[in-house]
Amino acid sequence: MVNKDIWIYAEQHQQMVQPVTYQLITKANAIKNDKKVVVVLFETPEKNIEEDIKLYGPDEIIVIKDKRIKDAPDSLIADLIAQLSKQRKPNSILFGATVIGRSISARLQAKLLTGLTADCLDLSFEDDLLIQTKPSYGDNIMCEIICPHHFPQMATVRPNIFVAQKTKNNEVTITEVKNLKFKENTNIKVNEERPLLSKLDSIANANRVIAVGRGMSHPDGIQLAFKLATKLGAKIGVTRPLTDLAPFSVDDQIGQSGSSIAPKFLLTLGVHGAVQFTTGIGKADVSVAVNNNPKAPIFDVVDYSFVGDAQAFAEAFLKIIQ
Amino acid sequence: MNLHIVVCVKQVPVSNNVKIDPVTKNLVRSSEPGVMNPFDQNAIEAALKLKHRYGGKVTLISMGPKNFEITLRQGLAMGCDDAILLSSRAFGGADTLATGYVLSQAIKALDKVHLVFFGRQSIDADTGQVGPIVAEFLDWPQVTYVSKITPLSEEIIEATRLMEHMEQTIEVKLPAIFTVRSELNEPRYPTPRNIQLSYQKTIETWDEHSMNLDLNRIGIKGSPTVVRKVWSPSKPKKMTQSLGRDVDHAVQQLLVILRSQNIL
Repeated sequence: MVNKDIWIYAEQHQQMVQPVTYQLITKANAIKNDKKVVVVLFETPEKNIEEDIKLYGPDEIIVIKDKRIKDAPDSLIADLIAQLSKQRKPNSILFGATVIGRSISARLQAKLLTGLTADCLDLSFEDDLLIQTKPSYGDNIMCEIICPHHFPQMATVRPNIFVAQKTKNNEVTITEVKNLKFKENTNIKVNEERPLLSKLDSIANANRVIAVGRGMSHPDGIQLAFKLATKLGAKIGVTRPLTDLAPFSVDDQIGQSGSSIAPKFLLTLGVHGAVQFTTGIGKADVSVAVNNNPKAPIFDVVDYSFVGDAQAFAEAFLKIIQ
Repeated sequence: MNLHIVVCVKQVPVSNNVKIDPVTKNLVRSSEPGVMNPFDQNAIEAALKLKHRYGGKVTLISMGPKNFEITLRQGLAMGCDDAILLSSRAFGGADTLATGYVLSQAIKALDKVHLVFFGRQSIDADTGQVGPIVAEFLDWPQVTYVSKITPLSEEIIEATRLMEHMEQTIEVKLPAIFTVRSELNEPRYPTPRNIQLSYQKTIETWDEHSMNLDLNRIGIKGSPTVVRKVWSPSKPKKMTQSLGRDVDHAVQQLLVILRSQNIL
């Protein structure tokens, strides 16, 4: 018998729980009805990461403490979750749609021979059936996907779609599991892990963002955007075409296949506003678009508009705040 | 030792600009046949580099309708040696699990394979799941989202895996599966000579009888997920307020707005 547990894999980078895990706990709590929200946490014995996770109020945290967790490859984590899932038979298992989440969940899916929906933007339940909404064709199409005859129902969920909230419910059951078999695999070894410092401060978490599009992509325009960003304490994000242009990369990209952002203030300069871009900016508090084409679709999705030259606007704005 | 390298490729629509027919509710895709998934070109480039270094051959595999030959032909023109198209009505409607199963059985049917490359994800479905699924079915180690490959020997490869906020250096003993990022390399263009040569290479077509398959695990039957509904997202229109036409006045007004909301 399948039980009513919604499992969430606690993703960590360098033993730090990732925001998407907390976002998933809050979302799962909101849709669970009669189900239980259970976090699955792997950590080395000296750690107590469950104390951080508790604050977000899951019903239970399953902890696997073992020194072999350090530098574990995807295949080992997938194998451990598979053993756990066969013992306890959860209703569903959720992961962040991150590099780690996508890599472990797909491997786990193949072990459990069940369905996995990638990159969900929304989740809900109809009784025990998980309704998964995911985009396709670069966010141009939305699909509702179900996995009606297989358990667990599995999904990866795009980071920063839901807002994590700490709860006052700290009645969290901690269950330590010790009966899993660690299959040794000598064919793969994680030799080193390095944080990417420049990426830590990403546009996804920035309070102020200047988005630069093709209409501002000449070197003078980019330089000006950086000056303005420094003055405002803003991060620069770009549209897809600019990711090929130094100094930018996909990490700076806003929108589908880039980051969803949720700044207090967003200024877009020379951004036309393709759907692939605008899906990433819906959470901005105050948004302003500058573009010389009055028909640019960006003007349909922002709070304030200025039809005119982006560079001239940026220059004038820089002058007035200096 | 000669390496046998497989690259799994997918053909994707030229443009992601698909719409829903308001009456039939079906996807209206452009009639253009499609192009090779961009990340798969990076996968081919990585395979060709290893072949160049250690010798051997590169086999392309794709699953899809007959016109996916366009993509396989392009891969052959880049320098791959042979290609297999897994094509049959019985494969239709496959989700990632059923697709990964068929690909893994096809790989098992080939002469000993040492490495399989995939692009990190396709740009239409965007799942990135098929590589790890194939790795699991073959019981091989996987390195996903690879941004750098350093062969230490013919049997051991060191790869850098680029994640959101960190990088890992991972050492794997072959056979293994790699899914690659665009940061890994710059895919080569087919040379005129290679384009010409590609027409002397064969594209084999395999169906469900060409390999050992459990017919319950392929196509719609072998796919646990069901698409229940498809729609075009409505763009939430905002009440956009104009900042006027004069640039100096506009920035003044913006400053007032930002100050009133405690943003500046």
